[in-house]
Amino acid sequence: MIIKKNIHIVRALQIAMLFALLLNTGCAPVTRVVLLPDPDGKVGIVDVSSDKGIQTLDNPWQTTEVSSKGKAPSVPRLMDEKAVRAMFKEALAAEPIPPVFSIVYFETDSSDLTTESLKILSRVLEEIGVRKSTNIIVSGHTDAVGSVEKNQELSLKRAKAVADFFVSKGVHPENIDVTYHGKGSPLIPTPDGVPEPRNRRVEITVQ
Amino acid sequence: MKSTVIIACLSLLMYVGLASAEETKAGFVKSVSGQAFIGRKQISIPAKAGDKLFENDIIITGSDGNIGVTFQDNSILGIGPNTQVNISKFAFDPANKNFAFFAQIKKGTLVYLAGLIAKLENKSVRFETPTAVCGIRGTHLAIKVEAGDE
Repeated sequence: MIIKKNIHIVRALQIAMLFALLLNTGCAPVTRVVLLPDPDGKVGIVDVSSDKGIQTLDNPWQTTEVSSKGKAPSVPRLMDEKAVRAMFKEALAAEPIPPVFSIVYFETDSSDLTTESLKILSRVLEEIGVRKSTNIIVSGHTDAVGSVEKNQELSLKRAKAVADFFVSKGVHPENIDVTYHGKGSPLIPTPDGVPEPRNRRVEITVQ
Repeated sequence: MKSTVIIACLSLLMYVGLASAEETKAGFVKSVSGQAFIGRKQISIPAKAGDKLFENDIIITGSDGNIGVTFQDNSILGIGPNTQVNISKFAFDPANKNFAFFAQIKKGTLVYLAGLIAKLENKSVRFETPTAVCGIRGTHLAIKVEAGDE
């Protein structure tokens, strides 16, 4: 009697598993989402939703799963860091080094870098090397002293000074994208004609 | 069965891709290893480092493939093997305050580190899978979409 009952349970389980298998074929894939810490250690937030509900992940290594379209995301739980690293091994290995953004500053009405900025520039050069970067975006800016035309020209000169420095150190010119904005894109907004050292700058993005 | 579904999904995506005329540069391929392709306008081309990516492109990797992508807003994507990702919308236009990054992950694994789009506008980064939607609020995350028959 007991044995017979067990057989029934086993049979029921087998049928349930078969159904689960059938439901999972083709267009009903399982989605797993894991929140990772940012490279700087900070942790953001991701909302995972389906037709039936929503879960918020806000702790590192927290995970939720949506097993089919008609299901709500599972209650978040912590996943072992090693297991996450194993599950996403190839994707993590393929993830590029995050791009880096730097600003260098210039003397008044000139394309001469400030002493401090020369040091920053050599650091940027190292960052280009580490990333083997082929996408370096260099954009020149000025403060609000002088005419629009004069500042357009000065901002281009500044951007070119930075680009020329990189080229002199062996960076291929084709890998550098130079743009210039004159006084049109100040970091610190000021009335026209006001000198502002923090706006006399070149912004560099190394991707 | 499975391959039919994949082909059906692919051709549907290709069709959607054709529907949009305007293309916006979204980013570029930073690294490739093994088999990886870019699907664009019903043609699939082998991906190589330096290739530009556009809105509506589909990134596809084979069983030994992975690919790294850097986007215009400095966000980064690492894609593992047997993966298919559609860059369905990409806008990074600070001058007009137009920001959006929508992607669809049909299958496979990826890791994503958000960039300026997520920082500059709330609810502007959204990754969809066949069963879930991830609203990304400036963060680093991993997504796996696994077919039940694997």
